[in-house]
Amino acid sequence: MMEKLAINEHGPQHKQAFDEPLWWSLFSAGGVCFAVILPAVILFIAICLPLGLLPAGALSYERASNLLFSVPGFLFVGAVVCLPLFHAAHRLRHGLFDISVGNDILNKKLMYGAAALLSVLALGLVVAGMLR
Amino acid sequence: MHKSSSQRLPPLKRNWWLKHRFFKLYMLREATVLPLVFFTLCLLAGMVALLQGADSWQGWIAFMGSPIVLLLNLLALAASLFHAATFFVLFPRVMPLRIAGHSLPDKAIVAGQWAGVVAVALLFFWLLGRA
Amino acid sequence: MSTEQITTKSVSTNNTSIKHISVKRYLPDSSAEAYWQQYEMPVDDSTSLLDALNHIKEQLDSTLSYRWSCRMAICGSCGVMVNGIPKLGCKTFLRDYEGEIRIEPLSHFPVQRDLVVDMEIFLEHLAAVKPYLIDDNPVKPYDPKAPETYQQTPEQLARYKQFANCINCGLCYSACPQFGLNPEFLGPAALTLAHRYNLDSRDHGKKQRMTELNRHEGVWSCTFVGFCSQVCPKHVDPAAAVNQGKVEAAKHTLIALFKG
Repeated sequence: MMEKLAINEHGPQHKQAFDEPLWWSLFSAGGVCFAVILPAVILFIAICLPLGLLPAGALSYERASNLLFSVPGFLFVGAVVCLPLFHAAHRLRHGLFDISVGNDILNKKLMYGAAALLSVLALGLVVAGMLR
Repeated sequence: MHKSSSQRLPPLKRNWWLKHRFFKLYMLREATVLPLVFFTLCLLAGMVALLQGADSWQGWIAFMGSPIVLLLNLLALAASLFHAATFFVLFPRVMPLRIAGHSLPDKAIVAGQWAGVVAVALLFFWLLGRA
Repeated sequence: MSTEQITTKSVSTNNTSIKHISVKRYLPDSSAEAYWQQYEMPVDDSTSLLDALNHIKEQLDSTLSYRWSCRMAICGSCGVMVNGIPKLGCKTFLRDYEGEIRIEPLSHFPVQRDLVVDMEIFLEHLAAVKPYLIDDNPVKPYDPKAPETYQQTPEQLARYKQFANCINCGLCYSACPQFGLNPEFLGPAALTLAHRYNLDSRDHGKKQRMTELNRHEGVWSCTFVGFCSQVCPKHVDPAAAVNQGKVEAAKHTLIALFKG
């Protein structure tokens, strides 16, 4: 009770940033995924696969579908697409502030909104594939 | 608390980061997310293609093999490694780990994270490296 | 053999040469514009930048204004920009500089005169985080029947000791682009000191400080540029403290969420 009063005493300039811990946690988790998992993902899927360096059938239509449209595939997308997207959104938002582009309140909505939208799309694709 | 009466300077100009090597490296670190976003969008397109059928999937692999896409994804690989190098050294400073009252040396934490990168790469090799 | 070595060494530490120092002058009484002024002086290997400024003041130009006191990196008053990097004058040696040496007042603070800046805003941010022990149940005045003192184990001291070395010189504020972009940002030293007291086993003021830290202008304006820790003359690592503060602010928010 006393604590609540103490918090409310502070004026508008003491507005608590209750959303920032969420964005920062997603940014940090995404940063870990970007650093630990993404190098291998990019190397195998975006470089070895199109260059034909993977053994035949390693990512054939059948095998790729089986791997992606599954529970581990769902977790994979969460770690490789969703979290890194929030990481990127956070850095882009602060980067725009650093170079004085737009205003932070709008940038925040645009960046985190886009990350959330693309994340839902990515996870939705996996679920759609599992329900096929 | 009453409103401050002290003097304020106008904010920095938007080119402030061009004045020091340190700040340029900071901006480079922040910019690693640009190729990351490109790769993520490629991956999303691949997922859509996979859902559409075998022909689309082959078409997507061909798209990924076009020189510009390949070049941008090579850039994304380099960006992910540069990001890793800058991110791993921050970890022990943000979350100093203590085991049985002794703080873990920073170098051990950084090495542990690089071991994670290698482990994930080995996992991928185990999964995709054999027919 | 050892005598010879000592002799050689003593010669090399006294390398006298003539150096040029450019100082950014600002004298609001005579001109609204700042301008560069160059001074020439003999220096040796032991000449600090503060020695050089004192030489200018005493021998060449008594109109030059700058702050200084202790000459030993503990008072924190002689901070200036040296070739664009915040430094303490007393801890900077001219032997380390080849060619041009440009001295400017600390960045991101309003300049009052020459190298003297207005640090009021820094002091306001410091005061805002209550950087002192807050004890709900303070030690009573000495009572021989119940002697009671603050007690702390070396382990408890070790938790915050590094962050207690701050001398409030303000170099980290001049190094911080986020403070330069938004002067309402509490900034490295204030957030570090808040963290230092939050980590202190004798303190009970964490709740009061968290309402300051968990604002947009608190820890959340920091983007871990990390230059503050590079320039800190006491190796406090303010960037680490601020980002540990983010972890604490996140915990604080979670707790507030569950308590309603």
